[in-house]
Amino acid sequence: MKDYIGTIVKNEKIADNIHAVTFALNEDCKVRCGQFGNIAVGGTHLLRRPIAICKAEGREVTFCYQIKGEGTQKLRDMKAGEQCNVLMPLGNGFYVEEHEKKVALVGGGVGVFPLISVLREYAATKEIAAYIGYRNKGAVCGVEEFVKAQKFIAVTDDGSYGAQMNAVQAFAADLEKGNRPDVVLSCGPTPMLRALKSLIEKENIPCYVSLEERMGCGIGACLVCVCDMTDGKRARVCKDGPVFNAKDVTL
Amino acid sequence: MANLSVNLCGVTFKNPVIAASGTYGFEREFNELYDIGKIGGVSTKGLTNEPRLGNPVPRIAESRGVILNAVGLQNPGVEHFIQHDLEWLKSTGTVVIANVAGKTLEDYEKICARLNGLVDMIELNISCPNVKSGGMAFGIKPETVEEVTRVAKKGAKDTPLIVKLSPNVESIAENAKAAERGGADAVSLINTLTGMAIDIERRKPIIANNTGGVSGAGVKPIAVRMTYEAAQAVKIPVIGMGGITCAEDAIEFLMAGATAVQVGTANFTDPYAMPKIIDGLNAWCDKHNVANVSELTGVLQLNQR
Repeated sequence: MKDYIGTIVKNEKIADNIHAVTFALNEDCKVRCGQFGNIAVGGTHLLRRPIAICKAEGREVTFCYQIKGEGTQKLRDMKAGEQCNVLMPLGNGFYVEEHEKKVALVGGGVGVFPLISVLREYAATKEIAAYIGYRNKGAVCGVEEFVKAQKFIAVTDDGSYGAQMNAVQAFAADLEKGNRPDVVLSCGPTPMLRALKSLIEKENIPCYVSLEERMGCGIGACLVCVCDMTDGKRARVCKDGPVFNAKDVTL
Repeated sequence: MANLSVNLCGVTFKNPVIAASGTYGFEREFNELYDIGKIGGVSTKGLTNEPRLGNPVPRIAESRGVILNAVGLQNPGVEHFIQHDLEWLKSTGTVVIANVAGKTLEDYEKICARLNGLVDMIELNISCPNVKSGGMAFGIKPETVEEVTRVAKKGAKDTPLIVKLSPNVESIAENAKAAERGGADAVSLINTLTGMAIDIERRKPIIANNTGGVSGAGVKPIAVRMTYEAAQAVKIPVIGMGGITCAEDAIEFLMAGATAVQVGTANFTDPYAMPKIIDGLNAWCDKHNVANVSELTGVLQLNQR
């Protein structure tokens, strides 16, 4: 973990309300899939923006982000050549065990981007099936990455791209056909994760979910971004997560 | 190289910059970024006798130039701190200040007694705006400030006791005096100002607790004024805080009467804020021919009106 100086290489719209910013870092940075960076957008914003790392190649790191408020609007308006401080890599990230050969990625919304980082890390060694849900055709992005998976099923809430269903339904339908993964990795809106958790508990498949929460420091010091654990304790999403074994967290 | 060391209640700090409670955890995280032994002191995350889960999320929100938080004193309990963090923290070479909170007077006495002699100083949180019972209730009126200080001091009989004052009060000077009467060895201020931020789409407060404590750069002028008022009112040392982001900010507090300062929210904006403030203090002192940073305390002269 280090506070890097990132010089923007490109910053462009990739779908409705979704932009991708690529920074060239001032130093090398080793990143694990599913980790995130805390990006300082400056101005009157005292908090940084915690955003999942989508791609990391050498010193070039790409973050995809949804325009949600003034902070992400400010990031969107930054041009190539401008600089941001980026504290990274943060969080634990996704791990696939040696014996887990078949990996299912189930993602929705901005949750698809950390799953792209998983795909990039494990595409060569694992058999990956991606079940990705978007709101509608305009929200579709990352297809050029997901097509590298052995199987890619894209669905939309309104049926304007792929079948009309959500990502968990797409995964469940494939499961019913007998396509059972060794592990499921997921990121997306909480209702989606909740549906997935109840499905995989019935099926007894290991499942890891990446959570999102409003953060303060991003490094585990301030105890702002906690989640409830099934043992009654609370864990820090930024430091103990963002990736948790689905059976350990209350969603 | 200016001499940045300061003495507070007989405890020597290598510089007057202290990590504010709640923004720095139990310090291990920031030690991954830099050697926290460089920092004058650290005030731990607020400790209670029993572990606390804290408030539901969201616990944080932003407004221009400030943040609001309502963590609700989540902590693993004082015993966990003593067993898992204290020895390591002392080994770093920074001054260890245990920040403590309670629901009842007995709680305050008990936790102070438990930490007495184990830490360099104890900071009494009687002004947490984010918990339902206790905490804040003690910090509002001078009578209860004095009472809780007196009880806590019975526990902290050998360890200097700092009373952290709430700004959400009628008179900061009266409350500072009350702490002094109660036996406080120092006061620190300001804790956060109670505020609210609303999500207009949902028509609800952003923070689950509805209100949160406001901190960050935007509160600095209020904090400087209150530090000045408290320093004028008491003879015991004052630790100033509230929105300090750079060395120049810290110097304002020193000039207003603070012996040392605490840095909180700035650690979120820039995790290296404190080392930079320490370097900046040194550079400023050198440039202004100040040999000892302690010379700056209380040098403020008001304009003649």
